Amino acid sequence: MDAFDTLGLAPAFDLDEAELAKRHRDLVKALHPDKFVGCPPAERRMALGKTIEVNEAVRTLRDPIRRAEVLARRRGLPVGETSEPAPPAALLMEMMEEREELAEATGARDALRVEKMAIRMRTRQAAVQKRLGEALASEARTGEVLPILGEMRYVRRLLDDVLAFEDSLF
Amino acid sequence: MLLEIHDPKARPRPIGIDLGTTNSLVARVRDGRPVVIDDCGEPAMVPSAVAYTDGGEVVVGKAALRLSSENPANAAVSVKRLMGRGADDPETRRLGTYDFVAPTNENEAKSVRFRVAGRVLSPIEVSAEILKALRQIAEAELRSVGGAVITVPAYFDDAQRQATKDAAKLAGIEVLRLLNEPTAAALAYGLEKKQNGLFAVYDLGGGTFDITILRLHDGVFEVKSTGGDSQLGGDDMDRAIADVLLREMRGSADVATAPRSVVRLALDLARRAKHGLTDAEAVDVEVPGKGEGGEAINKSVTITRAQLDALILPMVERTGSACKRAMRDAGVTSAEIDGVILVGGSTRVPIVRTFVAKVFGKEPLGDIDPDQVVALGAAVQADLLAGEGNAEDVLLLDVLPLSLGIATMGGVVEKILPRNTTIPAGARQTFTTYADNQTGFDLHVVQGERELAADCRSLAQFFLKGIPPLPAGLARLEVTFHVDADGMLSVKARETTTGVEQTIAVQPSYGLTDEQVEEMLMAAIDHGEEDLAARRLLEERVEAERIVGATIKAITGDADLLEDGERARIETAIRELREAIGGDKPALIHARSEMLDQATKGWAERRMDRAIARAIAGKNVGDVEGDVEGARGVDAHVAEHAARRGGGEI
Repeated sequence: MDAFDTLGLAPAFDLDEAELAKRHRDLVKALHPDKFVGCPPAERRMALGKTIEVNEAVRTLRDPIRRAEVLARRRGLPVGETSEPAPPAALLMEMMEEREELAEATGARDALRVEKMAIRMRTRQAAVQKRLGEALASEARTGEVLPILGEMRYVRRLLDDVLAFEDSLF
Repeated sequence: MLLEIHDPKARPRPIGIDLGTTNSLVARVRDGRPVVIDDCGEPAMVPSAVAYTDGGEVVVGKAALRLSSENPANAAVSVKRLMGRGADDPETRRLGTYDFVAPTNENEAKSVRFRVAGRVLSPIEVSAEILKALRQIAEAELRSVGGAVITVPAYFDDAQRQATKDAAKLAGIEVLRLLNEPTAAALAYGLEKKQNGLFAVYDLGGGTFDITILRLHDGVFEVKSTGGDSQLGGDDMDRAIADVLLREMRGSADVATAPRSVVRLALDLARRAKHGLTDAEAVDVEVPGKGEGGEAINKSVTITRAQLDALILPMVERTGSACKRAMRDAGVTSAEIDGVILVGGSTRVPIVRTFVAKVFGKEPLGDIDPDQVVALGAAVQADLLAGEGNAEDVLLLDVLPLSLGIATMGGVVEKILPRNTTIPAGARQTFTTYADNQTGFDLHVVQGERELAADCRSLAQFFLKGIPPLPAGLARLEVTFHVDADGMLSVKARETTTGVEQTIAVQPSYGLTDEQVEEMLMAAIDHGEEDLAARRLLEERVEAERIVGATIKAITGDADLLEDGERARIETAIRELREAIGGDKPALIHARSEMLDQATKGWAERRMDRAIARAIAGKNVGDVEGDVEGARGVDAHVAEHAARRGGGEI
């Protein structure tokens, strides 16, 4: 059972957020341990386990990278950073430069410069995500999925560092 | 000797408890509406103070506060700030009136302890006294209390939550649920207004600050993000004002040398001044001081609202950062927020209200008393959990307030469940050995946002042994985290490559062990073991009766899912359990409960599957066809991929 099965949703990268939220609500209303107070312990444990599964599935599908991983697995692609193909040298080079730029900006605690980078990275993330969605929508383009996913991961990691920097400002 | 009001024949009723830093309240649902339970004709707002008299009597509430101003050494106040704290915690060194006791061993260091009236106490024991007092107030009205929802700050970590549960256990209260205070407030508001939308709950209490962003949609209260500071509140405002007063009284604000009675007096005067400044622009405070020649005189100190504002502005601004972060984490802007709910007595301070209005760009809602709203919400949730309310329509979905992770080699934290994950939650992560022939894993579970384990809260540390010697990186350790609906963590670890499985119970780094709680329980009850056995019998009976009730109810609803002979087996198990309930052997009740549990297990699984199918059934036929097609597509892909991979290897 993957996340789509657990939630009974049709597997697709372009996901209707509202539909996902509604399915989440409907399922937890039926399964949440709060609805099983006073029931035999085995039943309560079962409810807890099922709710955890549903919550985890929703968390998986809300994250574009993990959603893409689920879909890639459905196509039998070897997902996971150790089994995915190595990223092209050009991407590595570029990411190294971005990383240096980010390290400099955060080191100087230059929030404006970090924010500018963040906007650039978010724009890029949106573009990569669009390409990933297109590759996942066409069976002919299955071969493109893992390289694009790899690129997503690099961009995400940069953005994670931006978030960590923002956190340190709050 | 405590007055025993409890009536075992009365039907047990659920209650909601707001165990606050400064004040505590108990509420219940009456005729479908939550109300704070009265004590002697007025809503019982019990000051969270406990005093111990020379005669060995324990006094709680207003009377304790009175005794405390006479002799601070005999009373404990604001202990909530110390819940779940270790003896080495920085909080223990801040302005306060505690006489802390240095730990003599590692076990003692797990919980801060202090001396009150000659006794050495932990904050858990003091909180238990407050909870007992609240239980008695509730019993006076309800005759029998059946279980409680107790609220905690959303930003409480695992150790603080565990400490709260331990206090309830000591007080003899069954905890139906630990509920986050802002969520409780939202529940009280949401049900009142019956309005869908996005809400922010700004909760500034006596000792803690929480900000929670949540969406209310068709009865589901889904928390999107939460943040805050478990050590920021009205107490800090009092401390800042007390600093000023102490300088006037002693010529210096050196707290370390000020006698505790003087500090307590300064804090009391400071609190009164703060309250006065809610409506007045300036207040005069009479403080004892020294004249020119060193003689004792009374001085009058004027404190203006502007002065107060300047003193507390840094604290208020700290709450602003947390609000912004919570909005960012929820992925929302202040413009999208439909309403801001104020909770906690400290939100009465005018500058706080102005500030909140500025941060969210709208006037906060204030139609429910900010002191009562949390207890009212807790009562509603208790009612729902006890199956008394209209449980079909309402559900709370809360989140993990702080990330949970494992410290890896080099002390870097690997996050396993990030903050703001919806609970109950679970996650699994695999780790490998770093050295050849490594036969054990040292696992360190931490909570917090910082990158280094040393900067996070240590929750538990354990060692997994018995791993067969293998080259580095070959042994695989699978660590599973489970967070239940109370926000409490449990951790399991197993070694997977060789089939060696080991599950480890986590020993908390902070707080008390089960044995310690049991010991305190024994010491607290007059007749020790005898009473403990009686209590256990009562607890088993209540639990078993509940299970019988739930099972019978389920049989009426889902009889069609019973297989041949299953009904007879379940009915036999029920009859046998009922016989045990009629007897006086807790162990037998427990064993028979487990038999019923076994008898209903398969049926329960089928019922749960049907519930899932029904929840999903909203989708139309086209979607189902899509699923089938999708499934076929997957098979095709797998085959295609296998063929391609095969080609590559040649």
